[in-house]
Amino acid sequence: MAQPSNTNSMEFKDKEIEGFKKRRAVLCIAIGTAAGLAVYGIFLYFHIDIYGWNLGLIFAPLAAGYVETIIANRIIGENIGAISAFILFIDTTFYSFILKNPTLGWNLITAGSIIVILQAAFPTLINYILLVVTGGIVSHFVNRLKSIERKIYYKIRNQDTVRWETPSNRNFEKFAPEYDEKASNEKINGLNFFFITSTDLVDRKHENLGQFNSNVIIGKDKKIIHADPKEAEKATLYDLKKGKDECLIKLSEEIKSSGGNAVVDLNIQYGLIGLGGDSFQISAMGMGVKLML
Amino acid sequence: MILTSSNTLENKEIIEYKGLVTGESLIGANIYKDLFSGVRDVVGGRTSRYEEEIQKARDMSLTSMIEKAEQLDANAIIGLKISYDNLGGTMGNTILITAYGTAVKYE
Repeated sequence: MAQPSNTNSMEFKDKEIEGFKKRRAVLCIAIGTAAGLAVYGIFLYFHIDIYGWNLGLIFAPLAAGYVETIIANRIIGENIGAISAFILFIDTTFYSFILKNPTLGWNLITAGSIIVILQAAFPTLINYILLVVTGGIVSHFVNRLKSIERKIYYKIRNQDTVRWETPSNRNFEKFAPEYDEKASNEKINGLNFFFITSTDLVDRKHENLGQFNSNVIIGKDKKIIHADPKEAEKATLYDLKKGKDECLIKLSEEIKSSGGNAVVDLNIQYGLIGLGGDSFQISAMGMGVKLML
Repeated sequence: MILTSSNTLENKEIIEYKGLVTGESLIGANIYKDLFSGVRDVVGGRTSRYEEEIQKARDMSLTSMIEKAEQLDANAIIGLKISYDNLGGTMGNTILITAYGTAVKYE
């Protein structure tokens, strides 16, 4: 009976430490925010401006972030993400652009500035909206036009429409399968062929056959927005693992046809090729050898 | 399990080459995690998060590789290579981490 109570108290202790850390983190953020506000106050008091644009807008969030990071590293021993820099950024922007500018009207310049400010604060979010969402909508319509054009083309030439099969057409999104690692391991190592990654075989007699190379190119998922990014990630990983196995088998067959039975200093590389990087290239390379068994 | 990038194991004799073992993992793609970065980049708020993610992914690759070596009844991995490849993604943030090496049995 002692066991459960022990674990309970351990859990309780963990929770207590967690709560303790959280309180300290909040304290660090508060100190950072206070430091940032102080810096902004100094900039405002001494009117450190360029053409009426207060430099405190830049330096206050920076100061807050630095103070918070330094104190957090001292007290908690880890970085908590410079949250006060954020708070300061929003505070200063609100104060100087809205509170101090009651006459601010709605026009193109105001809208533009708001986008620029937001872009500075949340570049990933705003770029995502600007590039990905807008780009996605545009590319969707362009693709529609393209498919209509293709249909017309094939209708005029009296041929059937050609359908391009890429991995993304397999509709993995709903259920990305797990790659069977065990089976793959057995398959690759059951080829009657040695894949050796060491740069040299010092302890085995062998005959050198020269450099060998094999490539596999697989289509890349061209969808920009995924309903479930985790599943899309899994599908990509599945394709890459399968491509790698194919590539290794290709390399082994090439070396086997030259009379070898092993590859030494094997390198496997993954990269992007094609227009705008629309395909993955997997290459395997190494020195083909004949092992004297 | 001994992991080494060298060709031999010092003071130990390799009695059998068991074969190739690999491990892959992917990070990034998950853009939603990272929407509110920005000001924080300048003061170094984000880098530690990324380091953690990369470390986690590398551990996953290594674990998967070691599992395969155990399956082959090996007790060491030589010629270990770990590589990080940028595979594009929405903001160039899809990173593939691969670990591979030769599983061997030593005495």
